[in-house]
Amino acid sequence: MSKVIIHLVDDNDIDIAVNSKLMKLAQIGDETRVYGNGRKFIDAIGEHRQELSAVSNIVLLDIMMPGMTGFETMEEFNKMDTSFIDHFDVFLISSTIDRNDIKRAEDTPRVHKILEKPLDVYFLKKLIEGLQD
Amino acid sequence: MSEIKRILYLDDEENNLFAFKALFRRDYEIFTTTSPQEAVRYLNENEVQVILSDQKMPEISGVEFFELTITDYPDAVRVLVTGYADIEAVIDAINKGQVYRYVTKPWDENDLRICIENSFDRYFSKIEIKRKNAELQELNDQLQKFIYSASHDMRAPLASIKGVLKVAVSEELSQKAREYFSLIEKSANRLDDYVQNIIHYYQNAQTETSIKPVDLKAMAESLVTQYQGFDVLEKFSIDLEVLSSTPFYTDEYRWRIILGNLLSNAIRYRDQAKSQGIIKINIIQNSEKAVMRFEENGVGMTADTLAQVRDMLQGSERKTLGSGLGLYLIREAVRRLSGSIKMDSTQGEGVAVTLEIPNLQ
Repeated sequence: MSKVIIHLVDDNDIDIAVNSKLMKLAQIGDETRVYGNGRKFIDAIGEHRQELSAVSNIVLLDIMMPGMTGFETMEEFNKMDTSFIDHFDVFLISSTIDRNDIKRAEDTPRVHKILEKPLDVYFLKKLIEGLQD
Repeated sequence: MSEIKRILYLDDEENNLFAFKALFRRDYEIFTTTSPQEAVRYLNENEVQVILSDQKMPEISGVEFFELTITDYPDAVRVLVTGYADIEAVIDAINKGQVYRYVTKPWDENDLRICIENSFDRYFSKIEIKRKNAELQELNDQLQKFIYSASHDMRAPLASIKGVLKVAVSEELSQKAREYFSLIEKSANRLDDYVQNIIHYYQNAQTETSIKPVDLKAMAESLVTQYQGFDVLEKFSIDLEVLSSTPFYTDEYRWRIILGNLLSNAIRYRDQAKSQGIIKINIIQNSEKAVMRFEENGVGMTADTLAQVRDMLQGSERKTLGSGLGLYLIREAVRRLSGSIKMDSTQGEGVAVTLEIPNLQ
């Protein structure tokens, strides 16, 4: 099984700290990288194409962020070439799950699901295991 | 809104038009014509509050003329003028709501004057009600937006607090620290349940039911883990059993409202006299329906309280925000899922709930 890198994209420091720790506790992924906003995430993965193309990537992307929202970030993300973004699985995260957001997430390519904060990491772990089967 | 009071009068008999104009031209701005086309043109270019039309005309009947113009000028008040007792047409038109009054020819001047005055009153009160309704709608929209964004802004930091608690629960902590965290958690959960219910309350009214195949087991498991903090891990045993075979079509969001509220109530109303809180959730599902049995050993309810709760669950009155919001949301969710819910309770022994939801495939 290839290496798994978790990408946490969230403007909230506390949630970043909590989610990184929860990932460790649930033993999800081999490495966690954090980004304070969507722009940084898009730029960073663009710079590490080669490295990231050799591993599996799980993205946890917050919806409510100043500047670029999670949905706007996904628009940018989905503009990248398919052969590259095929290495990524994306989950949106949000503290309030609005039903319109669920609908929107279903219509957004490459988003698996919206998850509510605080993250249920064991549920996430199951979801990720399901992806790899 | 123009202050000029305008009347349009359509009649194929010019004499009537002259007589009418002579009678009212000092009080109103009056346009008279024998041509329906010209009448429509005038309506296009002027704000007319009262339209009079003769019923019997060669090109078009009065009722037909009203029908023709009702969509474009719904607010104008219509008065039908009939030369003879064409009562059928009048009844028909009044029943269809197109005609406010009718006047028989030859008219009595006083009656006609009163009829016109009433028509203008009617027009202006209609407009006033419309304006007030629009104002109310606007205020209501603003309120909803405010409550929605306020509850969202409250929920975000609460979710962070709950996240920290989730991490803390896995740490090695002294007994004292665990107790304190447990107290923080209880209050955070209570506030969070309330905030989330406010959000659900507003979403419930706005959103349609969305039917999809749902894995009831995964849904229930993820909800139960959400509640497994300090308090629950130490003082509760939650037993979840789900027997499901075929795909179950339902609205997951509404299931979560029901089960979430039942769980948080069971946790909140734990019986301190018992060494452990027990929650048993059993879901059996087949191609027709899902039956959930939810049992807990909390403090239970007195007969009076149970009767009130049942009223709330079965009743139909619209619950305002405040206490009992959770019950209201359960009831609405069950209703939208076309299901039924029954609740039993004995004081000191706990609560048992049976929920039946059809497979909406």
